[in-house]
Amino acid sequence: MIVAEQKPLEEIGRMIVPYEKILILGCGTCMTVCGAGGEREVSLLHRALSVAQARGGNEAHSFSEYTVKRQCDFEFLDVLVNRVDEVDAVLSLACGVGVQVLAERFPDVPVLPGVNTSFMGAYKEWGVWDERCAACGECRLAETAGICPITRCAKGILNGPCAGSKNGKCEVNKDVDCAWVLIYKRLEKLGQLEKMRRYYPPRNFRPTHRPRRIVSRADISIQEGVNG
Amino acid sequence: MCSVSMDASKSNHVYNVKKASFDHTLMPPCQASCPLHMEIREYVDLIAQGRIMEALQVIRDGNPFPSICAYVCTHPCEDACRRGQVDKPIAIRALKRFAVEFGGDRMIRTEGKTVHGEKIAIVGSGPAGLSAAYYLRKSGYPVTIFEAYSELGGMLRVGIPRYRLPREVLDTEVQRLIQMGIEFKTETPVVSLDLLFKMGYRAVFITVGAHQGLRLGIEGEESPGVVDGATFLREINLGLKPSIGEKIAVVGGGNVAIDAARTALRLGAKKVRILYRRSREEMPADHTEVEQAIEEGVEILFLVTPTKIESQDGQLGVTCIRMELGEPDASRRRWPMAIQGSEFHIDLDTLITAIGQAPQVPDDFRLRIGRGSTVRIDPVTLITNREGVFAGGDAVTGPATVVQALATGRQAALRIDEYLQHRYPSAGKDEKEALMGDLLPKTVEAIRKLSRFEPPTLPPQTRATEFEPIELVYDWGSAINEARRCLRCGMGAEILFQDKCATCLTCLRVCPYHVPYLDDSGTVQIPADQCQACGICVAECPAKAIVLRKPQDRRQIDEELDHVLRSATQSKVKPLIIGFCCQYGLYGTGALASLWREAKAGIWIVPVLCVAKIETEHILRAFEIGAEGVFIAGCGQEQCAREDTSFWALQRIGKAKRVLAQIGLEVERLQAFNLYANEEDTAKALDKFTEQIGELYLASAIKQEVKT
Repeated sequence: MIVAEQKPLEEIGRMIVPYEKILILGCGTCMTVCGAGGEREVSLLHRALSVAQARGGNEAHSFSEYTVKRQCDFEFLDVLVNRVDEVDAVLSLACGVGVQVLAERFPDVPVLPGVNTSFMGAYKEWGVWDERCAACGECRLAETAGICPITRCAKGILNGPCAGSKNGKCEVNKDVDCAWVLIYKRLEKLGQLEKMRRYYPPRNFRPTHRPRRIVSRADISIQEGVNG
Repeated sequence: MCSVSMDASKSNHVYNVKKASFDHTLMPPCQASCPLHMEIREYVDLIAQGRIMEALQVIRDGNPFPSICAYVCTHPCEDACRRGQVDKPIAIRALKRFAVEFGGDRMIRTEGKTVHGEKIAIVGSGPAGLSAAYYLRKSGYPVTIFEAYSELGGMLRVGIPRYRLPREVLDTEVQRLIQMGIEFKTETPVVSLDLLFKMGYRAVFITVGAHQGLRLGIEGEESPGVVDGATFLREINLGLKPSIGEKIAVVGGGNVAIDAARTALRLGAKKVRILYRRSREEMPADHTEVEQAIEEGVEILFLVTPTKIESQDGQLGVTCIRMELGEPDASRRRWPMAIQGSEFHIDLDTLITAIGQAPQVPDDFRLRIGRGSTVRIDPVTLITNREGVFAGGDAVTGPATVVQALATGRQAALRIDEYLQHRYPSAGKDEKEALMGDLLPKTVEAIRKLSRFEPPTLPPQTRATEFEPIELVYDWGSAINEARRCLRCGMGAEILFQDKCATCLTCLRVCPYHVPYLDDSGTVQIPADQCQACGICVAECPAKAIVLRKPQDRRQIDEELDHVLRSATQSKVKPLIIGFCCQYGLYGTGALASLWREAKAGIWIVPVLCVAKIETEHILRAFEIGAEGVFIAGCGQEQCAREDTSFWALQRIGKAKRVLAQIGLEVERLQAFNLYANEEDTAKALDKFTEQIGELYLASAIKQEVKT
């Protein structure tokens, strides 16, 4: 799941200054799950901005709110046509993907991001999320017992642990487990310690050609697909 | 009939209401098991909030004679109460008594207006007859009740001892019926139904009760000094003072046996024994009454039955035999069998037989009689084999309970009305789906155990000598705390918008009772029979897909806020302070109310039904409408039936404080009081808070002044 956190109220306040009528738009999928931009957060932000405005004494904006199931697909955005027509800007609480699709769907209306899209991660406990995947495009989890050293090791090394591992914790942050100790323990449990003993050649750290694209349809050849 | 009054048309709908479909609450087990289907959950909840008069209103809507039930109901609701799976059931009957006494039931007047011409005769003034009369009169019929005895009330008067049902209570209810315009004819035994029809009555309701004591069928039963329980109680209740001597035995294990034994004690008997042929477990009498009888000094001989009675010089020599229990019989009670050679003798002055009663219907009524001399009727329409003649109550069922009789009376009123107005008998189906299923062990585990408050009773030594009512009424505090134990079955949370649900699993994670679960198809389910209606998941669901089943609960805080907003803008008192206060418990109803009335600043209270239902948005709205300070006051938890409520209230307060800080408002403007028990003196804390807000308000006003 994509995890994000809402931008500080002050930053949002600055972003919306030029616009009078603003639609706060939530996203019903990842942003709802991670608690950054679901229907509840939309109305909470609506309230917070209204209080700020009421206490500040300058009632410059009027807000409306709505939440769609997903902002990253055009079809979900069709219901917004009339709503967007009526406003000067849309404050989107979707991840960066959603904000961009929205901007593409409504080319004439400014779209503002209300959240900072942070990482792909998993729920740890109520209100706490941890990063789990760096989307490196070269998954090595089979060799590392289902624990990703790219994401969870501060250095992202492929042949760990490094000398900074102390009592199973990382030297960068004493509260963080050393990913390589976790990998060792799990490989030991699985009886696959030989995977530890292998040498893994360095990854190609040259910048990836962005934006990446994945093509799964059969009628476009792979050659055509890349950066096509 | 051309015109039907509002009242009459309303009462016709009492039986078959289709509630607005927004109400998704399920009928709780207490209501389902009550023959009258009273809205117990609703009135218990109102009592828990201290809204006693409203509670009484709910009670009166569902019960023609609540004050009677408040004393003598056998409370099948308590047997069904699911609190019993956690610790002990809610003391529903005692709470009803509290509502009746404190809600001013005595002041309530009832009215009746004649809108129909058809006269109706009711034979017998027992609970079934009185109930039918009440509802028929409310529907606008002229009603006459014929009573064979000199006093009204049937078994309520002649069967139930005064110490259980004070006569003033019964008199008040009868008086109300007279006020409604119901005609009573006492000492008027009806001998012929034909005569009634000749007198112009168009329908007759037979509720003659079951007053004929059953016989033991043993040698010597005719001896002087042997009396049946119903007759014994009747004589005493009609004011006779039979001399019964000092040594008494009562045969039987039902409520009549217990009543007879305790009455004998009160008449001055020195030694009162009950002979019951089975063991304590099989005893059909009310458990509490048995306890009370033993406390008063009644001795119960279990597994004993008399076999022979000999009479000599006014003394009875009774031969008894001991029994043992065999296989369960049709009533699922184990069948007692005599142990050969275990005979023993007891000497008595009086033997009271209380092994059951049967109705005695005059042959001239020409009604079909079935098993146990009971009147045979159609179970749906209550009509007998004769046109226009209906029957109900003990005369049909054999000895049963008061509440059953009241329910039959209400049903009879409906059927008679349908019959007279030539309407097809309505189905009378319950409008709500009943809640089924027991609490799961893991739910039971998570529910806070709270001990049951019993209403006080007179000490056994005092009460065994007089006929004063032995049970006293709750004090305010005990009643409210007892009512708060209610689990509010069937009014919990539901996922109203499955398509909105992002399956984020927040509800699974926040529920203190582990109720929501993920089914095999990956959909979140919140089983209605387990949900404890705390509202935490409702306020936490990031998709706002979960709602409470009861529509009033859904927007309660918003509506109260709107109300405060409207009223507060009229008020000139500054600074405005809004307090979200839990309405449950003494704090919400008593202490707090006096607090904010006396407060100097303009404090406005938004009543909430548990602080766990307050959302961050609500707090922010209060600031938005101009509150200078906001406080949240809990109930102090000690008697709160819910878990984790303070934790979640504090989470939301924390979130709101974060917003305040970002806006540049002092976080001190938002405070919580009394979320956990044994906090500092709330009154002082609130005073301090008010003062602080006053200063902050002054400071910001000066700042504003300087700016301009």
